[in-house]
Amino acid sequence: MIEIQAVTKRFGDYTAVNDINLHIKAGEFITLLGPSGCGKTTLLRMLSGFETPDEGLIRIGGEDVTHLAPYRRNVNQVFQSYALFPHMTVRENIGFGLRMQKVAAAEAAKRIEEVVALVALQGFEDRKPSQLSGGQRQRVALARAIVPRPSVLLLDEPLSALDAKLRGQMQIELKRLQKHLGMTFVFVTHDQEEALTMSDRIAVFNKGRLEQLGTATEIYHQPRTAFVADFIGEANLLPAEFVARTDTTVRVRIEGGLELNVSPAQWPAGLQRALVSVRPEKVHVSKKPVDCENVFEARVEEELFQGALDRLLLQFTGGTRLNAVVANESALLEAIHEGDRVWCGLHTDDLVVVRTE
Amino acid sequence: MQALPSTSANSPHARRPRVWGWVLLAPMIAWLVLFVILPMVILFVYSFCTRDDLGRVVFEFTFDNYRRVGDPIYLTILGRSIAYAALTTVLCIALGYPVAWFIARQREAVRNTLLLLVMIPFWTSFLIRTYAWITILKGEGLLNGLLLAVGFIPEPLTLLYTPFAVIIGLVYAYLPFMILPIYGSAEKLDNALVEAAHDLGAGPVRAFSEVIVPLTWPGIAAGVLLVFVPAIGMFAITDLMGGARVPMIGNIIQNQFSKAFNWPFGAALGVVFTFMFILAYALIQRRGARDPHS
Amino acid sequence: MKLLRILPLLVLAAVFATVARAADKELNLYAWSEYIPQSVLDDFTKETGIKVNYETFASGEEMLAKLLAGGSRYDLIQPPDYIAEALIKNKLLIALDYKKLPNFKNLLPEFTKMPHDPEQKFTIPYMAGTVGIVVNTEKIKEPVTGYKDLFQKKYKDRIVVLDDGRELVVAALYTLGIGLNDITPANLEKARPVLADWFKLIKLFDSDSPKTALLNGDVDLGLVWGGEGAILWNEDKKFQYILPSEGAHLFVDILAIPKGARNQVAAHKFLDYILRPEVSAAISEEFPYTNPNGEARKLLKPEQLANPASYPKIVKKLDTFRHIGESSTLIDELVTDLKNAK
Repeated sequence: MIEIQAVTKRFGDYTAVNDINLHIKAGEFITLLGPSGCGKTTLLRMLSGFETPDEGLIRIGGEDVTHLAPYRRNVNQVFQSYALFPHMTVRENIGFGLRMQKVAAAEAAKRIEEVVALVALQGFEDRKPSQLSGGQRQRVALARAIVPRPSVLLLDEPLSALDAKLRGQMQIELKRLQKHLGMTFVFVTHDQEEALTMSDRIAVFNKGRLEQLGTATEIYHQPRTAFVADFIGEANLLPAEFVARTDTTVRVRIEGGLELNVSPAQWPAGLQRALVSVRPEKVHVSKKPVDCENVFEARVEEELFQGALDRLLLQFTGGTRLNAVVANESALLEAIHEGDRVWCGLHTDDLVVVRTE
Repeated sequence: MQALPSTSANSPHARRPRVWGWVLLAPMIAWLVLFVILPMVILFVYSFCTRDDLGRVVFEFTFDNYRRVGDPIYLTILGRSIAYAALTTVLCIALGYPVAWFIARQREAVRNTLLLLVMIPFWTSFLIRTYAWITILKGEGLLNGLLLAVGFIPEPLTLLYTPFAVIIGLVYAYLPFMILPIYGSAEKLDNALVEAAHDLGAGPVRAFSEVIVPLTWPGIAAGVLLVFVPAIGMFAITDLMGGARVPMIGNIIQNQFSKAFNWPFGAALGVVFTFMFILAYALIQRRGARDPHS
Repeated sequence: MKLLRILPLLVLAAVFATVARAADKELNLYAWSEYIPQSVLDDFTKETGIKVNYETFASGEEMLAKLLAGGSRYDLIQPPDYIAEALIKNKLLIALDYKKLPNFKNLLPEFTKMPHDPEQKFTIPYMAGTVGIVVNTEKIKEPVTGYKDLFQKKYKDRIVVLDDGRELVVAALYTLGIGLNDITPANLEKARPVLADWFKLIKLFDSDSPKTALLNGDVDLGLVWGGEGAILWNEDKKFQYILPSEGAHLFVDILAIPKGARNQVAAHKFLDYILRPEVSAAISEEFPYTNPNGEARKLLKPEQLANPASYPKIVKKLDTFRHIGESSTLIDELVTDLKNAK
């Protein structure tokens, strides 16, 4: 559907988007994720036509749109600020795109009615944007963008202005709507949770570069770079050094002298140093010995009670520290407290080797 | 909660802000009464008076002055003044809008510099600037000299003392009064709205007419008021740059007070003129009221 | 607190003191702009210790309106002759005390007992002038002797005239052989077609500085004040000044003491000062109008006297304007109508 080939965009000396290649499939919900200033919004604006790439090529539906004006593209955008026309009613706002496309009045009225029903705004058609709540405005912006039936819908942090609860609802609604319409959604956010919830695929950006492209599970479980590992969820990043290799395992030494077994698939032959990433929730902690490929004794340095979860800071002999999150299932049976000696287990499959930068 | 409004209305504290409001407004009200309402009342009274041999106003009721305002001579002059003012206004919008829009889209530092440039002419007396235009437009002036030098024209053009010169003078004098209010509303316009219009398929023209103009309408309306109304009454430019050949309503009114010894008739013209201003203002306000957001 | 209460009284006292002193040592003069050299005023102050407050106006009508409105008390005013006539008629001037004006004898007899002040009781002529035709002889080769030579079709858009309805109407009346003060509706109807033809030829109307357009080369002929003509001649001898053969308007600007003047003593001192030959000649040096002071004329340089616009060759008797009262409205209407129709 969308092909982005070797696209670079500079603003003066600053390279906002650096040699990006990305193919987006039709009907896909793809999220461009990254911290602010990573280039995701610039890339989106090049898709909508508000910016032109300095280098590279963009195709949408097979057509080269690299230098096509925004109003000639079959692409619509939901703006972060919604950008609703304050002098128009909800109906006029939603109908604006149809009017520009010169859709016949009767047909337009029908389509507006449908989309108003779809976003549940019946009864608000004659209000002005200033008379709506934040969530309602968000839905008007969405309706206005989808009613012209674009081949691609671009969403620029559309939920960032909503409060947490409403945002959660809208995430589900958006995902449902996208499935219902079968439309290609390109969604920009800096919120990794939002990205994980909604996306078919996630493209993680950092400093103008595409760090990793993959499904939510891939990105989460198999981060390829330290940045991705750290940005998506939480990760313990342990500098490791190659020790020995067998058919079934690679032994590496981490700081403090502890040795770990990692999967040979993760550790390419000849690699000397890398980071080993492990999610806090994959650290198994118990007062009894645990059944894992890697088992260590540790001391609980700190304990942070977080309701359903218990957050622990563990320290091993040799000084290495590790964050762990454990389910707070049976406080009575096996309560872990600060200062306790515990067993700590790490499955080989949960250890992900990422490149050092 | 229901009981609260009544208690607060009875408390002395609730009334204090109202008294203070009047106290703070007093200088403003005094100013208005002294320098706006009182002169208007005097003008209104004079317009129904006659005058004596020396041009002194005699308090003797007559409707003649208004009858004379209705004379075809003065109606054509008024019509012509309105036409010139309307043309001036249109040209000011055509020239001023792009300038205001351009300035509003710049970085703040550039914006302030450009605004300063727009306002710099105000530092010099209006008459001196008008004389500068005479130097530019006269037969052996700068413009003709330039055009002759580059061989653009075979002989000097007659520019000065023509309606063309009057329009140039009027547009020049009033352009900043169009640029500044339009800039004021253009600067507040969120660029995302323009992008949204483009995004939804509106080309430059449609985006301009459907989104930008309605949203900068308050600025345009203010500019129109600031240009159109004074331009109707302007007399210095028609005298200096038009050679006083074609009378405008402003010249006529000025004449009644300075040369023709006829204050009551001048007052009657002034009153009619003021009512026209109020009418124009009301019309523009009504247009504005239809778009409550603006 | 005590000081605060006294303060307004102190201020009031100071104001009264100033006013009292002012009445003694100040002269409030209300005169045309650019007509009295500053050096002349400064020398008067140096000599007498009387400070001159010089307030200006741009038209006789403006002066009259302000004088009648009251408020400002002037000791000396400088109206044109026909306004002075109206003031005399309405008893708004104070009779002069000739004992205090020994220099009065310097005036030429033809400038005394003029129609506006036939008994010579109230007014002293300051400067006089004519309204005549200026021709740029470099551009216009044919001789121009009167209004009929000036307003010719071939000079269309090459003429500047005074933006003064009365001067234009009078010029038209001259060509019809009608006296310049016979402003009646019937005479104005006769003047109308003449003016209508003229207005089609005029490039611009300017009373303030008609010389500008002539100097700029935008026009080649003009009907202008004699003073303007004199400056043009001084600038370039190609600008010739001609008194129209049909007759011409002579204007006299006079000095007079209005009713209500506070400092009549100073006013008389100033009048006599102005009448001194050397002072009057100094004024002519800066403003080349027609000097009515015979003794002063003797002090002028030959080239000053040779200026045809200051001292024109008089072909026909010159006439002065008389007060016409409400007839000025008829002139205003006629001129407005004609300009409008153009």
